[in-house]
Parts: sequence; C-alpha cells; structure tokens
Amino acid sequence: MSIGLSRRTVLAMIGSIPLAVGAKADERLVRVGLTAVVVRENLGFFDRWRRYLELRLDRPVRFVQRRSYREVMELLATGEIDFAWICGYPYVRRRDPEYLDLLAIPVFDGEPRYRSYVIVHRDSPYRSVGDLGGKVFAYSDPDSNSGYLVPRSMLTGLGIQPDAFFRLTFFTYNHAETVEAVARRVADGGAVDSYVWEYLKRNRQVPVDQTKVIGQSDEFGFPPLVARRSGDAELRRRMQNAVLGMREDVDGRALLAELALDGFVEPDDSLYDGIRNLEARMSGGRLR
Amino acid sequence: MMIVHPRYWKLGIKLPLTIIAAVAGVALTVGLAVIAQERSRIRQDLEEKALLVARGVSGIAYEAVLRNDYWSLFKALSSMTSSSGPGGVSNDAVAGMVLDVEGRVLAHLAPENHPLGLPLLGADPSQRQWLKDVMQSATSRVRTIHQDGREYVESVVPIQSNGSTVGVVVLRLSTQEIETRTAAAAVIVIGIVLVFGALGSGFGVYISRRMVRPLNDLADGMAALGKGDFTSIVPIRPRDHDEIGRLAETFNRMAGELAEKRQLEQQLAVSEKLVAVGRIAAGVAHEVNNPLAGMLNCLDTIRRYPDDPSLIPRYFPMIEKGLHRIRAIVQGLLIELKGDSAEIWGDGGCLEDVKDLVLVEIGTLPVQLHWRNQLGDSYCVNCGPMQQVVLNLVKNAIQACRDGGDVAFRAFSQDDQVVVEVEDNGPGIPLERLDKVFDPFYTNRPDGTGLGLWVTYRLVEKMAGIIEVESEPGQGCLFRVRIPGQALRRQRPTTEVA
Repeated sequence: MSIGLSRRTVLAMIGSIPLAVGAKADERLVRVGLTAVVVRENLGFFDRWRRYLELRLDRPVRFVQRRSYREVMELLATGEIDFAWICGYPYVRRRDPEYLDLLAIPVFDGEPRYRSYVIVHRDSPYRSVGDLGGKVFAYSDPDSNSGYLVPRSMLTGLGIQPDAFFRLTFFTYNHAETVEAVARRVADGGAVDSYVWEYLKRNRQVPVDQTKVIGQSDEFGFPPLVARRSGDAELRRRMQNAVLGMREDVDGRALLAELALDGFVEPDDSLYDGIRNLEARMSGGRLR
Repeated sequence: MMIVHPRYWKLGIKLPLTIIAAVAGVALTVGLAVIAQERSRIRQDLEEKALLVARGVSGIAYEAVLRNDYWSLFKALSSMTSSSGPGGVSNDAVAGMVLDVEGRVLAHLAPENHPLGLPLLGADPSQRQWLKDVMQSATSRVRTIHQDGREYVESVVPIQSNGSTVGVVVLRLSTQEIETRTAAAAVIVIGIVLVFGALGSGFGVYISRRMVRPLNDLADGMAALGKGDFTSIVPIRPRDHDEIGRLAETFNRMAGELAEKRQLEQQLAVSEKLVAVGRIAAGVAHEVNNPLAGMLNCLDTIRRYPDDPSLIPRYFPMIEKGLHRIRAIVQGLLIELKGDSAEIWGDGGCLEDVKDLVLVEIGTLPVQLHWRNQLGDSYCVNCGPMQQVVLNLVKNAIQACRDGGDVAFRAFSQDDQVVVEVEDNGPGIPLERLDKVFDPFYTNRPDGTGLGLWVTYRLVEKMAGIIEVESEPGQGCLFRVRIPGQALRRQRPTTEVA
C-alpha cells in the first residue's frame, strides 16, 4: 500500500462530523449506478453497503442497476445518477464536454489493477485465444475493457481480424454470465474481468469450476468509481471519504471482504493510460 | 384337500363371495375408468405444458433472434424448462431448442452436442423431413412422437412478429411423467378401491349372514319337524320383515299348529285307549259271563240233585268247557299284558320254529302250506313277539280256508325292513268288516275269542311296525307286517352279546 493511512483517517473523521450534526438535513436520494464490473447478484451485500453509505452520507442511497454500460453512462450524462462504478473503457472514452471525475479506485490483491482472462470450458482442448477460430465466443459488453476491448486487441496482436475470426459472438452484459455461458458450453470461449472470475472462484460459485483460464492480458486500471462533475461537491467529498474510509472501520472491512477487495484508494488518472492506448490502437485501426 | 364344486357351497359363503365379487368388480371398473381418464388428462396437461413453455420462449425470442442475443435465448429456454422456472419441467425436457429459418441452432438445451450457429445435426432423412416440416409450420402444434424407443410430446412454436417468421422453438417433453403420474393416480385409485371393496365386502358378509342365519334356523327346524320332533322347535326370530321374515313367521305358525295337532292326537290316543280298555272290560265281562252262567247253572242242578250220579258225566264236561273258554280269554289277555317280558333276539331262522306248530295246526285239514322264509341270519328279530305274530296270522289263514285252500307264508327284507306276508285264498273279509278285524273280541268264528288279531296288532305296534290287510270277498286275504329296520339295527348289539 503506497498511500498513507493517517490522512484518510482524519478525512474520515471530518466527514463524519456533519453526519452526526446535520442528520436528515437533506433527504434527496443519492443514486449510485452499478454495472457488470461487480457481481451484482448479491443483493444482501448491496443492501448492507447502502446502509453503510447512508450512515456516512446522511442521505438515503439507492443503487441503480442497468444491463449495459451504455445505459449507466447515459444515466450519468443526464444526471439521473450521481455516482457509478464503471469500467475503465467507458471512462477513458473522450466526452465533450467531460462530465466525469474519478472518485476512488478499488484495490484488488494489493493493486488497483486487474486483467482480462480468456476462459474456455475445463474439458475443452483450446490452449490460447488463437485456437478459438470458427467457434462461439462470449463478450460481456461492447463497452467493456476486459470483456471486449482486450480480447479483440489480443487477436489483432496475433494478426487476426476479430470480426471474422469467430463463428458467432454474443454479449452477456455480465462477466458472471460469461463464465456461465462458457461453463454450460453455450460459448466455446469468453473474455472476463479477472476480478470477477477470481471473486466467483473464491466464493466457490459452481460454474467457475467448469472453466479454465487460457489467456491473460496485461494489467489495466481497475474499474473505477466515478462522480458526475457537475454534481454536489460536498456530497462528492463525503462519498469519497466514505468509500476511502471503508478499510478503516470494522463494518467497512467486512463489506470489503465480501467484495474480495482490499479497499478503495484515491484516484490516479494515469492508471487508465493503458486502456487509452488500447482504445487508440483499436479505434485507430478500425473505428475512426 | 379337495375343492368342492361351488354348487355345494353354503349360502353363507356363496352370498358374501358374490357380493364381494360384485363390489370388487364395480370398484375395479370404476377405478380403471378413472385411471384411464386421469391418464388422458395428464397427457393433455403435458401437451399443454409443452405448448405453453414453447410459447413462453417464443414470446421473448423475437427480439433476441433479431439482435443475435443468443445468451438471452439460451437463458430463456433454460429458465423456462428448469424445474424452478414457470414450466417446471426440467426432468421431462428431453430437448429444447430455438432454430432459425435455415434450421441452424440459435439456442439448445444441450449446447455441447448442438453448437450454436451450426445446422441441427441429423443425417437421418426422417429427421431432415422433420426439420422441413418444422420450418414450414407457421402455426403452433403439438404431437406425440416415438424416437429411439422413447415416447415424447413435441411442441413446435414459430417465432413471429407481424407475420414474419424468424425461427421456431422446439420443445420435447418426456412422457415419463405420464407414467409416473398415472402410477401415482393408480396407487390412490387402487387404495380407494381396496378400502371400498373391503368395506363393501364386510357389509356384504354382514348382510348375507343376517339373511342366511334364519334360513339355517329354518332348515334345522324343518329337519326336526321331519323327524316328528315337535317339541324341541325353537321359534325363529326373523330380524327383518322381508320375504325371509315372512317365511320364518309362516314356519313358526306351521310348527305351532303341528305341535298343537300332535298334542290333540296324543289326547285322542289316550281317550281312545280308555275307550278300548272299556271295550275290553265289557268284552271280558260279556265273554266270561256266558260260560259262567252255564257253569253256575250246572252246579245249581248238581246241588239240587246230589244223588243223581248221571248228572256228573253230563255236566262236568260242560263246566270244564266253560273253564277252558275262560282260560283262553284270560291267556289272550295275558299275552297282551305281559308285554315287558324279557326279549329274546335271534336271526330270521327263529321263525322256522313256528312252522312245526303250524303243521300241527293244519293236521288233516285240506290246506296246502307254502312256506318261504328268506330272512337270512343277517337280520335279527325279537323272536317272541315275531313268532306269536306269525303263528297268529298263519293260524287265522288256516282257519279261513279250512274247507280247502292254500296258505302262503313269506318273510323277506325290503328297504331295511323285515316284511312278513301271510296270504290265503279263503272267502276273504267283506269291506265293511275290514276296519274291525283288529278290534278285540271281534270274531266271526263261533269258537273264536276275537283276541288273535287284536293281540297281533298290539305286538306289531310294540315293535314299532305296521300291519296292514288287503282283502276282497271271495279272493282271500293278505296280511302284511313291516318291522322297521332301524329298530332292528338298534337292537343288534344286544343280540351279539346274547
């Protein structure tokens, strides 16, 4: 851990003062968008996290789920939601004007980074993504870094045109479901967020045992929590303090343990340069 | 153990068995009908379910097919056919698939065998024909098919929107469920059948026993009546006032009347006996009085002329004759009265002793005797009374044709009875006298006592036998005596000891 803890402790304490004094001062809902970067099926966890955040924000909190990144991004753009946990790829997309700010970055296995895994069924003979020609491949989301951008870049790195390589591709809009699609052999291969795959594995989710990893990408910045730039600055500060301070108290640590995360750290935009480069390379070759 | 023919079964068994069979038959028929109906209902259910689930998938498939959202298609198919899904048919779903119009797999419940995007496997021409049929069918349909020795229900539902078909949903459900659910239904139905059968049979047994018991009582009562036992009949108590009840009432009434009649008869017999005794007494008085009068007359004359010695040879024989006559009367009566003298049992041969006496009786009379005794030593008779009876009858017959004729004696066994027949061809007995021949002191012979046939009659009666007489004037007459075999048999052990 490179970032000092003492300062965050102070910040957390400061943040908790108005929480105690100005209770119920502002009853407006704080909406937080969730995407496929986390395993959203654990409703009990999000309820507990919601209550944790409500105590520290002194505002009611609601998690808002949408199927695709695009829908969550639109909610952010229109101000329907104040915060969101999104993938690095939509974050680095250029927006004019820019309306997003990084709020905090999760730390997974000691690093605020993750990879993309290419997975196949446990019993299948494929040993790399290059073996999957003419097969069925599952992407998670067209706006996903690990579930779309990275596997395609891996193919182009091998000199393969991704669009013509597979017989069929489909989107599951959920990394966990990509694992399921591969485990049930609907897809011969798939690309998933390493954090989600490991999370499922640690939580002994059954389908993950039916899959194996045959390819790993380089590390990229972990899907960040973002805030709407034009939102309430005070609320943003409190939210940042709340999530950064999670690893400082027992309840927060318990919630982090459930997420299989070490904690949240202060944002560092340079973490996402890797994705920016990838995007530039891929879109430079094809889209733009 | 030998099985007795049902014709000989008791009503107490036949009736309950019939009722049980009827109840079981009805219950079984109804049960089978219910099971058959249930089975067809279950099949209908299964077909509806197959159609419903396929329609459910088809309803959400259109968008997904257009967007190539194969994962959604698979999830819909999978969840609709999973046991926790709305269909709840996981174990029955033999196959489920979504095909595009070219017959390529868009989703399949067994993706490892039927990969996405490839034509559905099947080189079999019948399968190709099936695929063609499926593709051409623009309407939902469901049918039962057999393949590889298995039966299943197949539903085919097109994926359509605004008239354009983009694919079909095909779902096959195993008919195993029909068997298991039918079996479950059958278990319940059979259980009900057994319970109702047992209840009905129990009720039937109860009813039939209730019916048969008075019948048995009636049979016992009638058997007792047949034996002439009127006293030990217990009135039957019918429980119901049905036909059997009426029968029992009638029987009770009849038994009562018979008992009453028997009582009257007994009373009548007693009074008859008294009359007979009176008649005997009168007869004795009359018969004894005649010689007595003569004898007293003789004695009176002798006393009056004591010195006339010629009176003695004149009157003594008269007195003696009178005394003999009185002795004959008394002897006749004594035979009747010494009835309880010791019985001597012997076989039929003892009747031969009578033959000698009879021959003496015939003496010089022009009477021909035909003696035929066929009673072997296997029959035993009470010798004393039997000999007396035979002697009396034969003597009578000889007297009847003393002016010349034939007397036949026959003794034989018939139907376990000892039969003695004595026949003569004398003048016979006029019809108006026929019913008086057994009366005491009735005689048409000047020197007869009138006691011979009467004594014979009493002796036969004592041996529980019957005596009958057949006669036509001018044609002779026939006396026939029958002694029941039963009486003989009962007495036989005594004979053997003796």
